[in-house]
Amino acid sequence: MAPSMAAAQPLPSSKTESYVDNKRKDDIRTANIKAARSVADAVRTSLGPKGMDKMISTATGDVIITNDGATILNKMEVLQPAAKMLVELSKSQDVVAGDGTTTVVVIAGAFLKQCQTLLHSGIHPTVVSDSLNKVAVKAVEVVTAMAVPVELSDRVSLVKSASTSLNSKVVSQYSSLLAPLAVDSVLSVVDPAKPDLVDLKDVRIVKKLGGTVDDTELVKGLVFDKKVSHAAGGPARVENAKIAVIQFQISPPKTDIEQSIVVSDYTQMDRILKEERSYILSMIKKIKATGCNVLLIQKSILRDAVTDLSLHYLAKAKILVVKDVERDDIEFVTKTLNCLPIANIEHFRAEKLGYADVVEEVSVGDGKVVKITGIKDMGRTTTVLVRGSNQLVLDEAERSLHDALCVVRCLVNKKFLIAGGGAPEIELSRQLSAWSKVLHGMESFCVKSFAEALEVVPYTLAENAGLNPITIVTELRNRHAQGEINAGINVRKGQITNILEENVVQPLLVSTSAITLAAECVRMILKIDDIVTVR
Amino acid sequence: MAVERLFKDEATEEKGERARMASFVGAMAIADLVKTTLGPKGMDKILQSTGRGHSVTVTNDGATILKSLHIDNPAAKVLIDISKVQDDEVGDGTTSVVVLAGELLREAEKLVGSKIHPMTIISGFRMAADCARKALLDRVKDNKDDAEKFRSDLMRIAKTTLSSKILSQDKEHFAKLAVDAVMRLKGSTNLESIQIIKKAGGSLKDSFLDEGFILDKKIGLGQPKRIENANILVANTAMDTDKVKIYGARVRVDSMAKVAQIEGAEKEKMREKVQKIIGHGINCFVNRQLIYNFPEELFADAGILAIEHADFDGIERLALVTGGEIASTFDNPESVKLGHCKLIEEIMIGEDKLIHFSGVEMGQACTIVLRGASFHVLDEAERSLHDALCVLSQTVNDSRVLLGGGWPEMVMAKAVDELARKTPGKKSHAIEAFSRALIAIPTTIADNAGLDSAELVAQLRAEHHKEDSNAGIDVITGAVGDMSVLGISEAFKVKQAVLLSATEAAEMILRVDEIITCAPRRREDRM
Repeated sequence: MAPSMAAAQPLPSSKTESYVDNKRKDDIRTANIKAARSVADAVRTSLGPKGMDKMISTATGDVIITNDGATILNKMEVLQPAAKMLVELSKSQDVVAGDGTTTVVVIAGAFLKQCQTLLHSGIHPTVVSDSLNKVAVKAVEVVTAMAVPVELSDRVSLVKSASTSLNSKVVSQYSSLLAPLAVDSVLSVVDPAKPDLVDLKDVRIVKKLGGTVDDTELVKGLVFDKKVSHAAGGPARVENAKIAVIQFQISPPKTDIEQSIVVSDYTQMDRILKEERSYILSMIKKIKATGCNVLLIQKSILRDAVTDLSLHYLAKAKILVVKDVERDDIEFVTKTLNCLPIANIEHFRAEKLGYADVVEEVSVGDGKVVKITGIKDMGRTTTVLVRGSNQLVLDEAERSLHDALCVVRCLVNKKFLIAGGGAPEIELSRQLSAWSKVLHGMESFCVKSFAEALEVVPYTLAENAGLNPITIVTELRNRHAQGEINAGINVRKGQITNILEENVVQPLLVSTSAITLAAECVRMILKIDDIVTVR
Repeated sequence: MAVERLFKDEATEEKGERARMASFVGAMAIADLVKTTLGPKGMDKILQSTGRGHSVTVTNDGATILKSLHIDNPAAKVLIDISKVQDDEVGDGTTSVVVLAGELLREAEKLVGSKIHPMTIISGFRMAADCARKALLDRVKDNKDDAEKFRSDLMRIAKTTLSSKILSQDKEHFAKLAVDAVMRLKGSTNLESIQIIKKAGGSLKDSFLDEGFILDKKIGLGQPKRIENANILVANTAMDTDKVKIYGARVRVDSMAKVAQIEGAEKEKMREKVQKIIGHGINCFVNRQLIYNFPEELFADAGILAIEHADFDGIERLALVTGGEIASTFDNPESVKLGHCKLIEEIMIGEDKLIHFSGVEMGQACTIVLRGASFHVLDEAERSLHDALCVLSQTVNDSRVLLGGGWPEMVMAKAVDELARKTPGKKSHAIEAFSRALIAIPTTIADNAGLDSAELVAQLRAEHHKEDSNAGIDVITGAVGDMSVLGISEAFKVKQAVLLSATEAAEMILRVDEIITCAPRRREDRM
């Protein structure tokens, strides 16, 4: 009796259970998709050259105005896990390509929207996820086929793509200045031995308030956002400079073991003062003996790097002093100056010095910076001095410049260009829907939906520019169907033109990584069926 | 008459039926939680931490999910423990073991409901487990002698393990990575020498296996960036100053010159130490602690590559793979074992510079560099790869292989069913129940893939009624398929561990008839 009962029971009971379970799980998935989509909607309006900016007031009360997707999302501090994944997505795009951080989120949002419909019509999430993967692979193929190879010597093309990136930013009116600047700075740090690699750490951006973005300049050399130590009236300009980067301190000695000097009478005090003086003087004499006339002193937390007394003597010895150089900067500085850091006075030798034509303090706006130019055997580094009339503009200019630098870096890594202005997306959409007709079953259905989803980019571009999105997208589709694969939205003219001729170009890497990363992220969100709270 | 109060105020006691119910329910709830992650079309879970930062983990790994749960139910804790043990022992099958244990308890609950004594159930389960194990042993394949075939077995196992994880799209690539890495180990199960480095950026396909060792650190300033035939000294020593470690030690002097002298002496001591280190005849020095500017410059002058602040894990591994020992005193150069490697150079992965040691002493060492879009992806990829590596390294030792896709469960269920028929008495109910629990695994796999599980499992059972069937669930096409043709394999060791530990856990929970919850320790003024 018992076994027959037991045998009869499991099937119906598990049926009802799984039904209830599935319902709950669908809810979680829907909630995740909704949350992620609302994040995508939040940044949607900042896409494209006529995209708007966001003002974010942070928890600490700071105000940031930006157009950079990654920055907006980063500062939004979302809590919902799926929404967080979209923020991560934007960050990854920032790491990989540096630009297109808004695009990637907008595409992911559009994919998710389609997923919602697909799931609703009863397709298993893994099928949707697999089709999305196929779409991503195919899309990369299509985009790569559209790309135009570019040579690094072709400066004009590089500048074009950098200015496309800059056009959507606050600083767009300065793109004619910043774009060549970005190109030059990246190209100058490319190591001929390793032509495919660029380390953006070799490009240093120094921000200085005052002036306008127009005054931004590329400095072949070093810029310190610091004043020369004037305490004792030392020189502020040195020609034919011999520069030493020192990691020791020119101040009274201090031992690591705790020490105290016992003074028992008045004469002793005098003697100690005298000794201190002679101690410092002997150090400075050693420095002077090598012919050094510029000192860059590393910041020290253990004791004062320089004292008033040593500054006084250094000034007398006509040595220009820049103090408080961060330890992290030492590598960059020594690389640029082609010199070695000196950690002990005993090792102070002439061969460790770097040479430059001019070291001078320059007034910039309300502050002063130290510039080192005409460096002999300069390392492959550059410095960009960014100016701006207020802190907000300055910060945004830095972010935009960083994006532009990344764009150029992408081109160095992968030397292909592709049209901008929504052209690749519409072409993708067209080719993918054609491809979907060859596929069978669910896959075909899913691929078709995702192909439609990609139209979101031109649609949003048009919308943000105040054009009629439906007219524009349909016309665009029409033009592409006729074989004009480079037709895109010309936002300035408000019509559709051959976007490649309009000089709106972007690196291939930005487009491909936006699609693959968005697909990867959406697939991950799709596969989640439960949120578990843990410690 | 009865004892007034046996326990403290807040202690609770549950007895008999209630206690058993509580543990059954708890265990089944846990099993149901992870059930949906089983199989190639299993879903992932978001783990949202309530702690600081509300960090988010996305995972498919049963052990990871269970480890991080807040659990109050004692029986549920038992299941979490077996999952952990499974993770430590064989690395994979952490979900299966919990699901099987949960199913066993579900069946047991029904039997208890129809008034069969738990002890009878237990002895039935034991007989069934034993029989199931024998059935598996009869069907294992062992290709140890044939290197070619063995490798393809490994590839199959790796692919099967990976197919349920995030790496499934690139499983071919990662299976190859994992097999190559494990083959280098030459039979040792010491996964220490396989290092996994995660670097955000790029896509999963860009991950690669590198022979040698990669240290995520920087080379000191002005030092050579490339060294051939390196002699490496791995050390854990203070390179700022040798402080007198007596509290309150201080020097008293009466003039500035003397302070300068002491400072000079300290510098001199450091220089001596550096000289001693250099005296070992090395050209690469790796220290766990910081190397200050002064010694760094001395090393640079001597043309020695010095790496500072390598973490504990880093230096231990480095010492292991280069065959050196970690030194902390430098007075006896002859007693210190140096590490060696053919080439040290700086390489660039993504945006970061790393130090690469190639041609190391211990030939089996290698590094897997994982690339991926975000940290979520990378973390999950690491977990998946770790599972695959564990299983593979176990398989290298115990090369018995089974087919996958629900095949082993069906084989076991068939044998157990036959046993039930032969066994007289109430035990046979328990044995029958065991077979039903086994079938629950292919059922779950099919359910997760959105397939008609009742239909598929029935077909599968019919297939298995024939002798030597290789039928299993082919999730991709959604039908019953031949597992040996599809190349879906699993390690015998994993399946055996799943079977035995699930049975043991179920048995343990079944034996419980009383739960005593001790009074929580009083906390003062905390929440």
